[in-house]
Amino acid sequence: MGNADLRQLAVIEEVGFDELDGVVAVDAHNWLYKYLTTTVRFTRDDAYTTADGTEVPNLIGVVQGLPKFFENDLTPVFVFDGRVVGLKDEEVEERREERERREEKLEAAREAGDALEVARLDSQTQRLTDVIHETTRELLSLLDVPMVEAPAEGEAQASYMARVDDDVDYVGSDDYDCLLLGAPLTLRQLTSKGDVERMDFEATLAEHDVTWEQLVDVGILCGTDFNEGLTGYGPKTALTAVREHGDLWGVLDAEDAYIDDADRIRELFFDPDVTDDYTVDADLDPDLDGARAYLTEEWDIPVDEVERAFERIEESVTQTGLDRWT
Amino acid sequence: MFKAIVSADTLRDTLDSVSVLVDECKIHLNDDGIEIRAVDPANVGMVDLTLSADAFESYEADGGLIGVDLSRLEDIAGMADAGQLVQLELDEETRKLHIQIEGLEYTLALIDPDSIRQEPDLPDLDLPAQVVVEGADIDRAVRAADMVSDHIALGVDAENERFYVDAEGDTDDVHLELEREDLIDLEAGDARSLFSLDYLKDMNKAFPKDAEVTLELGEEFPVKMHFDFAEGLGSVTFMLAPRIQSN
Repeated sequence: MGNADLRQLAVIEEVGFDELDGVVAVDAHNWLYKYLTTTVRFTRDDAYTTADGTEVPNLIGVVQGLPKFFENDLTPVFVFDGRVVGLKDEEVEERREERERREEKLEAAREAGDALEVARLDSQTQRLTDVIHETTRELLSLLDVPMVEAPAEGEAQASYMARVDDDVDYVGSDDYDCLLLGAPLTLRQLTSKGDVERMDFEATLAEHDVTWEQLVDVGILCGTDFNEGLTGYGPKTALTAVREHGDLWGVLDAEDAYIDDADRIRELFFDPDVTDDYTVDADLDPDLDGARAYLTEEWDIPVDEVERAFERIEESVTQTGLDRWT
Repeated sequence: MFKAIVSADTLRDTLDSVSVLVDECKIHLNDDGIEIRAVDPANVGMVDLTLSADAFESYEADGGLIGVDLSRLEDIAGMADAGQLVQLELDEETRKLHIQIEGLEYTLALIDPDSIRQEPDLPDLDLPAQVVVEGADIDRAVRAADMVSDHIALGVDAENERFYVDAEGDTDDVHLELEREDLIDLEAGDARSLFSLDYLKDMNKAFPKDAEVTLELGEEFPVKMHFDFAEGLGSVTFMLAPRIQSN
């Protein structure tokens, strides 16, 4: 999930959703997970549970999350994670253990009949199951929303697209790593009700007078998903040290310290495993009736849970903008 | 430098044509008159307005740009009676507009033009049909359509030389036709586009009911609606993007 300490260095500006337009490459897991937990917390579970007990809260979450993009002339491209990057195994293992602990607590809360605690824990133990993956893709494809399958990490692929593809204007992710991955503009808090945060890569480099390489070195010194940072090194200390010693190696020499695989970690930010094998067609032609039927007939979701969201999507795709003629 | 005297009516007509779409706008203070161009946040409706220096009792400007809060300025203009004169003077130092109406002085803080949404590019439209009608005819069509639906189709039947308006509701429908002889002018060409009544109702408020409005239409194209005010010395063009017609 990236190191949140990077926030101290990032140049971030709050902007209204209506000030944005263009194409945003959305880190799909990050986005989906947010809507999944919100749906589970605020919707009764029989609305998204089929007769045989399969839970598809993602279908309600996705359809409620999409109108905001369409209404504001922002076209989302959902970028899904591929395989887990090798160095991250430790983190994955940690997260799995954490989830198991939560599930145990959840079981205990159920037995104790503590409904509030059950609801709270339930929303934290959501997992992106295979069914959730498949049905999310099916719904997005009915709505003609572009999708990209990343070879490895979604945020790396999304950042790469925003960096090199003229048709992609932003990355949508809450992950501060997008800054280290060189994403020119990252939109955070896309899932929140209020303004979004626009994190600016070039402005961040200029603010601290460092190069991209130096920024990544600062990140590695503070700790990333792939390594523990140096003890005592926060963003400010790391920045000063990198400025003083030029780069990561200089700092490590001076500190007589060592970081495992440091050169490989650097490469994960500069040259991550990404693909050019994708297409982004921002001119959407959603099959709204098909999507409605998919949710309410195939997955038995009550019409009133999703109808308002469908109406909003319908309205936003039927009204054209004058910019189409300029 | 900007210093001008204008009748309250002309000032109000100017502001009303812009405030139907936006809350704030930039005003270009050119040496031959003022110019305003604005688009609503959803990029659906646009206004392009000019008011010649000759429409003012007196006018001096040298190409400045100011940003204004329209409802503020409308409120102030509303303090004047019809026919009263309003004196406007820009204080370059304080970036405030001094407004005087028969002894009433109001100092209006201006808005930084850079903080106002960028002025839109004019769409490049080649529209096959043109209809000239009385503003009152549009008012009638819009009010009738509003009784049954949220949208309205405007079209020209080239073969039968007719301008028509359709609104289809869930239960009721409205249809209005004007033949060539009912129109002030017609350049026939096949055209039909669907528009949001929310926007058209707002724009309709700015149309003069007793004067000509020129509509230019195409097939699934934006409509251009043009009229003059201030005895022909002011000119307004609205552009409205169409809705995609289902089925």
